[in-house]
Amino acid sequence: MTTRAEFLDRIRAQVRRAPGRFQAASARRPRHAAAEAEAIRRELAERWPETLEAFRREFEGVAGVFHRVASVDMVPAVVDGIVRERQARELVTWHPTALGADLAPALGARGLDVHSMPAAEPAGSAERERLRTIAARADLGLTGVDLAIAETGTLVLVSGVGRPRSTSLLPPCHVAVFDRTALVESLRQVGVLLEAWHGDGRAPAGGASINFITGPSRTADIELTLTRGVHGPKEVHAIFVEQPIRG
Amino acid sequence: MSDAELATPFRQRAGGAMKDAFLQEALTIATTKFIGLRREAFASFPEGEALRDQARAIKEATLQRLDQHLETLISNVERLGGHVHYAETSAEARSIIVDIAKRTGARLAVKSKSMATEEIHLNEALEAAGVTPVETDLGEYIIQLAHERPSHIIAPAIHKTKGQVAELFTRELKRPAEPDPEALTLIARGELREKFLQADLGISGANFAVAETGTVVLVTNEGNGRMVTSLPRVHVAVMGVEKVVPSFTDLMVFLAILAKSATGQKLSVYTSMVQGPRRAGELEGPDEFHLVLLDGGRIAQIDGPLREALSCLRCGACLNVCPVYRQIGGHAYGYTYPGPIGILLTAMLEGTPAVRDLAHASSLCGACADACPVRIDIPRMLIELRREVDDRKIAPWPERVAFKLLAGLLRRPWLYRLAARAGRIAQKPFTRGGRIGRLPLVFGEWTRTRDLPPVAPRTFQERWATDRDLRA
Amino acid sequence: MTGRSVSLMVTCLGDLFFPEVGVSIVRLLRRLGVAVDVPADQTCCGLPLFNSGYHADAAAVARRTVELFGDSEHVVVPSGSCAWMVKHEYPGLLADTTLARTAVELAARTHELSQFLVRVLGVTEFTSAVRGRVTYHDSCHLLRGLHESESPRTLLGNLEGAELVPLPGADECCGFGGSFAVRLPEVSSQILAKKLANVESTGADCLVACDAGCLMQMGGGLTRAKSRVRALHLAELLDGGR
Repeated sequence: MTTRAEFLDRIRAQVRRAPGRFQAASARRPRHAAAEAEAIRRELAERWPETLEAFRREFEGVAGVFHRVASVDMVPAVVDGIVRERQARELVTWHPTALGADLAPALGARGLDVHSMPAAEPAGSAERERLRTIAARADLGLTGVDLAIAETGTLVLVSGVGRPRSTSLLPPCHVAVFDRTALVESLRQVGVLLEAWHGDGRAPAGGASINFITGPSRTADIELTLTRGVHGPKEVHAIFVEQPIRG
Repeated sequence: MSDAELATPFRQRAGGAMKDAFLQEALTIATTKFIGLRREAFASFPEGEALRDQARAIKEATLQRLDQHLETLISNVERLGGHVHYAETSAEARSIIVDIAKRTGARLAVKSKSMATEEIHLNEALEAAGVTPVETDLGEYIIQLAHERPSHIIAPAIHKTKGQVAELFTRELKRPAEPDPEALTLIARGELREKFLQADLGISGANFAVAETGTVVLVTNEGNGRMVTSLPRVHVAVMGVEKVVPSFTDLMVFLAILAKSATGQKLSVYTSMVQGPRRAGELEGPDEFHLVLLDGGRIAQIDGPLREALSCLRCGACLNVCPVYRQIGGHAYGYTYPGPIGILLTAMLEGTPAVRDLAHASSLCGACADACPVRIDIPRMLIELRREVDDRKIAPWPERVAFKLLAGLLRRPWLYRLAARAGRIAQKPFTRGGRIGRLPLVFGEWTRTRDLPPVAPRTFQERWATDRDLRA
Repeated sequence: MTGRSVSLMVTCLGDLFFPEVGVSIVRLLRRLGVAVDVPADQTCCGLPLFNSGYHADAAAVARRTVELFGDSEHVVVPSGSCAWMVKHEYPGLLADTTLARTAVELAARTHELSQFLVRVLGVTEFTSAVRGRVTYHDSCHLLRGLHESESPRTLLGNLEGAELVPLPGADECCGFGGSFAVRLPEVSSQILAKKLANVESTGADCLVACDAGCLMQMGGGLTRAKSRVRALHLAELLDGGR
């Protein structure tokens, strides 16, 4: 078996022998990512309405369904509407601390079957199995959003405690709730934020998976005919809440 | 492709592909569509050109310190609790992965789309070891059921009609399937959902790996990448060493142009960033994360003539614009990677003799270099390969003789003029109505479908030498 | 009018198969007051050898060519591929020889015909030698090697007596590719068939290109199909008298 030393030595030897050819330059990284990220946030706070409008356009362009409510307590009504339209009733949600609000009671009051994901690691594999079965069986998954990228209509979700990956992946319908604090304009800005989260800044949640979601799951593998919901959700909804969720 | 099939000369395989009516239609429709989508995407993206230049510069800069970036990547993956393995050859890569499967007691493995795993022929090895590999990308799933190899880098089943897929599903899955893409997709979703939930092992490739943070990045549209890296208890990512990028800032440059080049989308539906195994408190995620770094001929090219090909993002844009690929499709090339970049990668992985004929499967039109998001000069390297074939005397001897004669002729103007005169005489029996309709020997290859102009009664230089009024 | 003098690099295909193109160029340049000379003993730029990987031989041919044209003020070439060879590959091929510097200088002074007319002489108005509709095919080396798609279209668009109509897929290869046409003749022919279908769809009387190889390929297909479309070199169209 090749060892690390052997492998890297071979590469090193090749690299030493090869003259640099044409233009070579890595991207210029932010010197103080956290500070730059903060600056981006402050700027964006000023122009969130334009950013939101750009996001809505792009999001709908990738077949996302956009909703807007005044405050987070109006979200359950929207979710209820979506669920009923699909003639469904079972949903899974991120834990309230991850969502920023406890919507389970209001949803339950509307006759929906709500399973909140726990905020602690499951006790054992049986518990893990049980939760996975629930997620796989649910008709709808309700999550928050860490970033909403206007340039591409993308939702960025970081995994972690109380915010499992399956909520936005297994159910055929994914509903994501966000407010102005999640909005960013461009991939370039996202790069700064990612640098900040991993460098001198703080990461949200800090799970092992960061997912960029741009519309519903799709494929055109059969005769180039576009179909949706291949493995991931067939529908993606984004509910924008005007009043910041975490006050 | 099997050895028996490879024994068929490339020209014959190409001819066969051109007689397949459905393949021809599928190729025209698919490549034309992809070209249009890419054009539109870049037309409304003025920063695109500058980003392409930047992407190329980043790839080159990364290669210049590849060892350092890989060291950073390795230490970060290990810091996150992952394991890194080093595979010099395909055989070694297979054996590393089979060992992981055996040690973790895996019986069922789900795979997301990975050309690297195709390259190392992983599936047969897993099966031989008692592990069932299931391809989960719809196109790969289809060709796996059909026991075929992919025919396009990003749309592996482009050569199959919906009728063929329906028949395939009916036969292999033992359930009736309608020739309707929606219905077929639904069937696949159901079948594969089962597998995702039951699988012990998830195997993926990696579009990129961010050295600074130990992050492996998967770009997909279906969601299978997310399933494969989150649901099974073990995740193995197989990655060519050239896929490493220094930082997230660099990554964003590539993400901005990759999907646009491949399918015209601003971003693929899912860009999944995997950072080691599951963390404390997480519900899902693998217990074990393994990164298999693959050499397979890449390292030798760091200081080799095919170095530029190491920048390839596997977007497929060059396939879509290649006049040769558009006529013959992917299978005729005979190796894992088809199309213009495929010829270079095959030379890298299998050695130059393997592309003795494929190196000439190009009119050198340059459309590939134009379309390439990282501006790889594919025609230049094809010419280099042809040169190597000639220098190493692998080219067939009649060809070498013919070109030696040509060279002799072009260096001696008196011989050139003599040849023109000889040609004029020789062509007489074949010339009718001012053109030549049929010629013997290799020239017959031209005249089967095209006329040839005859050598002029007087060449331009002959006229210039004798016509007073032309010189005046 | 211009007081310039150029040397004509007639190209092997031009010399042997399309001498009328060279004649047209001499005439139309003279009409513009450009003195034309034709260095004797020309053969080829060496591209066929280069493309098939015979680089030592290509370098020997390049050497000859550089010596032949060493004294020329400007070199005009009726072929995008030959002009590309001289401008882009000669310096590299001769880098380690005594002709290295001369090759670089020659590269700067060498021009494909349409580029010379439009970009060097600044002349864009000509009377067409052929009446009717014309359509233009971009040869690969001119388009992607020399980054030239405008000059021929400017000239054709301004042609008195001819109407330029766009060719669908004009930037797609015609399938010639030099030895490619006989190494993979079935593929080459199928590429050609698609190109000619596009040509016929324009309703043009005349197909124009700036490269003898493309004209051999497309012209050969057109006459084989007994098409009424004629394949002509740009120079022939521009040679309509001024």
